[in-house]
Amino acid sequence: MDSTTATTLPRWRRLRPRPIRVAEFSFLIFLAVAMGLPLLFLLTGSFNLSAPGKPALYGLDNWIRAFTDGGTLSALGMSFLLSVVRLVPAMILSVLFAWLIARTDMPGGKFIEAICWIAYFVPDFPLVLAWILLLDPNFGVLNGVAKSLPGVDGAIFNPYGFWGIVWVHTSTGGIWFKVILLVPVFRRLGATLEEAARVAGANTTTMLWRITLPVLAPMILAVSVLSFIRGLQSFNTELLLGTPAGIYVYSTKIYDFLQREPRAYGEATALGSVFLLVLAVLLFFYWKFLRGGKKFTVVTGQGYSTLKVKLGKWRHVACAGCLLYVAVTMLLPLTFLVIGSFMRRYGFFNIASPFTLNHWHNMLSDPIFLIALKNSLIIASATAVGGVLLYSALAYLLVSRRTITAPLLESLCWIPHVLPGILLSLGVLWLFLATPLRFFLYGSVWGIAVALILADSPVTTQAFKAGLLQLGADLEESARVSGASWSYTYRRVLLPLLAPIAAAVGLMNFGSALTSISTPVLLYSHQSRPLAILLLEYSFTGELERAAALGLLITVIIAVMMLVGRKLGLQLAGSE
Amino acid sequence: MRIIVGRNSAWAKAVLVFVLVFVGNSEGRAQTKASEKDWLAVVEAAKKEGKVVVAGSPDPVMRNEVIPKFTARFGIPVEFVAGRSSQIVSRVETERASGIFSIDVFLAGPDTSANELYNDKMIDPLKPLLIMPEVADGSKWKNGKVWFADPQEQFVVRAFSSVATLLFINTDHVKPDELRGMKDLLNPKWRGKISTEDPTATGAGSNKAARFYLQVGEEFVKNLYIDQKSVRTRERRQMTDWLARGTQPICLDCREDDVRPLVKDGFKVLEIFDMTGAAPTINGSPWMLSLANKAPHPKAAQVFANWILAKEGLETYARGYGSATLRTDVDESFLNPGNIPKKGVKYFDDTDWKWIVGGRHENREKVWKLLKAAK
Repeated sequence: MDSTTATTLPRWRRLRPRPIRVAEFSFLIFLAVAMGLPLLFLLTGSFNLSAPGKPALYGLDNWIRAFTDGGTLSALGMSFLLSVVRLVPAMILSVLFAWLIARTDMPGGKFIEAICWIAYFVPDFPLVLAWILLLDPNFGVLNGVAKSLPGVDGAIFNPYGFWGIVWVHTSTGGIWFKVILLVPVFRRLGATLEEAARVAGANTTTMLWRITLPVLAPMILAVSVLSFIRGLQSFNTELLLGTPAGIYVYSTKIYDFLQREPRAYGEATALGSVFLLVLAVLLFFYWKFLRGGKKFTVVTGQGYSTLKVKLGKWRHVACAGCLLYVAVTMLLPLTFLVIGSFMRRYGFFNIASPFTLNHWHNMLSDPIFLIALKNSLIIASATAVGGVLLYSALAYLLVSRRTITAPLLESLCWIPHVLPGILLSLGVLWLFLATPLRFFLYGSVWGIAVALILADSPVTTQAFKAGLLQLGADLEESARVSGASWSYTYRRVLLPLLAPIAAAVGLMNFGSALTSISTPVLLYSHQSRPLAILLLEYSFTGELERAAALGLLITVIIAVMMLVGRKLGLQLAGSE
Repeated sequence: MRIIVGRNSAWAKAVLVFVLVFVGNSEGRAQTKASEKDWLAVVEAAKKEGKVVVAGSPDPVMRNEVIPKFTARFGIPVEFVAGRSSQIVSRVETERASGIFSIDVFLAGPDTSANELYNDKMIDPLKPLLIMPEVADGSKWKNGKVWFADPQEQFVVRAFSSVATLLFINTDHVKPDELRGMKDLLNPKWRGKISTEDPTATGAGSNKAARFYLQVGEEFVKNLYIDQKSVRTRERRQMTDWLARGTQPICLDCREDDVRPLVKDGFKVLEIFDMTGAAPTINGSPWMLSLANKAPHPKAAQVFANWILAKEGLETYARGYGSATLRTDVDESFLNPGNIPKKGVKYFDDTDWKWIVGGRHENREKVWKLLKAAK
């Protein structure tokens, strides 16, 4: 059919490149330059043994030094162990939360979802300190309460150690990120399959296990891969809670090489390459799973219902369970964080006049605060909009099954997720400075926005891809048959269906752009300094209380944007 | 004749002395006037450049006090690029490889100044550019001149020299009498009660451990960091809080500027500078000054460098940071007397160039080897 069509087409039509191929190769070139080149710079640099500014001399010494450095392998083992132990319960809880919020008639679902959003963007450093105030064996508030109970002698909680790290991670970053990404795809799940299962006699558990989870597997797997690698790179919590207990993780080793003078970027890149290897293995299994002839389409043109599962008497129990979890893991330390921003010294209640407004006053009257706020809002808005436009198109290409370079495209867009932030920043810095881009982007808010858009590629692309995999091809085909152009179809059919995902990842990117430190740290200038760099400066100089105030302010900005964004997303989706 | 000659000679001597004094003073005044004139010309040229770009640690004293004062004094805005030294140097090197020269002045730590900025030839000679009269005047400096720390005595200025804190104690939990000598730290009573910045990473913790290794020996380091179960952290605030609460009432690496607010809040914290068994130490914190080569605003950089070394600049920093400067005219009454080096005392100089570029690295490597083997 195709060959017949081809032979009957005029010569100029046959030679004209197909739009999808043009788009595909444009993306390939873009990703190869934007993601591949920085990686290439870093890998090449890791073999360069010369001091900076000296003629290059290549060898394996950096790699040998990195992997024979004492404790590297045990740190790697600890990172894997922590990442796996954290991932399993967090994924189970996240799926349960997302299902309850999106697919059941549990009351308060939207409120709990909103809390997840806010929780995700609360700065983790003061939150970890809040957990120390609660759990420390010597002065922890909860240990104090526990000691007053009959039969309890001595501290029963201790945050310094393996399980302390696991618990605090569950609180600070554990399930919020996953719930945010999973809820939109759970929402898109049509009720038709679930209703059919019910008619066939399946109970709720069977339905969840046999229908819901397998159909949503692409997103669940993508979130698992993202979380696992993120877990391997996790760093702040381990520094605060692991170092006193002698627990070192792999990312600490990378950090050590980055802090050395003279800097050891070669060794750090060599260690970072392990993440690339892990990613390659995980992606291999991920692709193998997706290619197994399975279908994940849940939204088709043949009737679509989003009726929710009725939990009956369990709906209030489920709500209470979710609220209890949120209260214990987030509201409790968050309360300490809010109080901390008003304390003269965070966590010290026994000093004279412990409360003050000075930290807020000093922050708001800092002459660079307003400039930094303006810069941050520009950067975050550009990152959110740019990321959504770029990666929704890329995801469309990846799921269209018409591209011939899909594995390459997808591999390239995963790269930023496996590079430690500061190395990605260095790679992007090289990219900017080695090309004419430096005249437009270097030192400007737009340059930082571009770098953040690059950093957001794995999460954003995977979220859109999972969303698009849920949409049946017949939706697009029927629109085309009815005479709609591609752009009309995209605007009136695909976009409304993708709007909740677009709103979710757009907001997530907005929030990440406001809080990201490692990506802009080598790219900002005096004029383009964002709030996150100000936060870094406060933390660096031990001004923890002012950092807490700024962190809370950023969280409030994100909360406001979240309300606006959700409203917009739901309106686009036609839900409200 | 003799008498006359003698008289003449006496007169001649008197005249000669008068002439020398007068002419000398005139020359001195003329030189002062000339240098003032040169200085004013530099300031005018600097104003035309429009700004100066300074790279340094994200320091509240710099941001909140030094920059506003400099801008008020000369009308020249300061762009402050703040960050960890390693990050700033990475950025500057990458910029330079692409032909971009954005930084004018470096206020960097001794390690970065010696091992990176000087070693990688990123800085220009500063000595000929120090022309502000109160900076060029040797009598204003404790050493009789501006102290250039580099071997060529041209590039890197050291403006501070304070006695370094050996450790802090919370006297609610540790009596000063209990810690008279270094060996007292090994008392089993203090097992698990000593905090330190992680000595296995680059930073203050490993620098101090390297010094202990050199001064007190390998066995002491092993006993202190391993057998005494010293509690490690990478977060300086955590150490300060432990000190205040008394959970680890002996802190090896707390910072003076972090501890000062605790004292104001009534915590019984004592700074100890000296214990038998280790020589007292001085250092050049918080920064060493150098000028970037191919600076985009060379005159503004010169004005900033001169001003920061003058009384106003250094005193502002010294008050904010609590360090003793090398100037003679800076008020030191606000300092802890223990911070001011005493005459006749032999100090170990932790910012000595040879120690920075060689000795510290060697001893740090030995410490790391020892700690890793013990693990």
